[in-house]
Amino acid sequence: MQDNTGFSPQESLRLIDSMIKEARNKYSENGHLYLFWGWVILFCSAANFVLAYFNLYDKPYQVWWLTAAAGVYQFFYILKHKTNRATKSYTDLLYGYIWLTFGVLLIIAIIITSIKGNWDFLYPQILALYGMPVFLSGIILRFIPLKAGGIVCWLLAIVASLISAQYHLLLLVIAIIVAWLIPGYMLQAKYKKENK
Amino acid sequence: MFKDLDPILHSQLRLAVMSLLIGLKEAEFTYIKEKTKSTAGNLSVQIQKLKDAGYITVEKQFKDNYPLTTCKITSQGIKAFEQYVKALQQYLHVK
Repeated sequence: MQDNTGFSPQESLRLIDSMIKEARNKYSENGHLYLFWGWVILFCSAANFVLAYFNLYDKPYQVWWLTAAAGVYQFFYILKHKTNRATKSYTDLLYGYIWLTFGVLLIIAIIITSIKGNWDFLYPQILALYGMPVFLSGIILRFIPLKAGGIVCWLLAIVASLISAQYHLLLLVIAIIVAWLIPGYMLQAKYKKENK
Repeated sequence: MFKDLDPILHSQLRLAVMSLLIGLKEAEFTYIKEKTKSTAGNLSVQIQKLKDAGYITVEKQFKDNYPLTTCKITSQGIKAFEQYVKALQQYLHVK
């Protein structure tokens, strides 16, 4: 492109339009971390359920310590890939804040539950809360599988409050597959296709 | 004919840079260069002109011993861009 000043208003508008389209809603990462966390949480939920249900270990919730290791991995992954990001879009910013809000609400739910001592309602709350970032991500990215995933989470939250707490982890496993991994892989495939 | 059009913006490359930045929070020099298909030398000159006009801010850093230039549109730049689009619409009789 040259420093050309003799162009028509029509050409101006076309140029503006094409540049705005270039910058719009580009996923600036390939979803690696998102899918990685999906598998970590899926593993922890399933392992916790199996250990508790079959009485294999008296402190089954300790499998969740794996998330700390995953956090360390995420830290180094971000550190390594930080320099590769050429832009920061408002979508990225909004997306980050939505997940931050979810994280804060999750911690508050855990604090309230531990103070009240009634852990039976923790998972219905987590499922209801988790529907929020998933649904909103679907809105931002205009991606129906994510919107549907969010709604499934909310339905599972209601189902969870109706059934015995020992099966809650199974609902979490379903939520992760339907609202996390399936849309995640679909989105990754879309990303790869668009960036070919 | 286009006397009302902001001369700073009515240049293909400068307009392309502004159109990219309007939708982004910030963008690196290399990204802008790639998207506008321009040469580094020409782009540097045009970015400097936009900076002098107060339409963008340019931050120079070093990352892993490589220079890293990041551009960001200013509120003055957003205003100028909006006025430019409005003037274009008037020329084209778009309401």
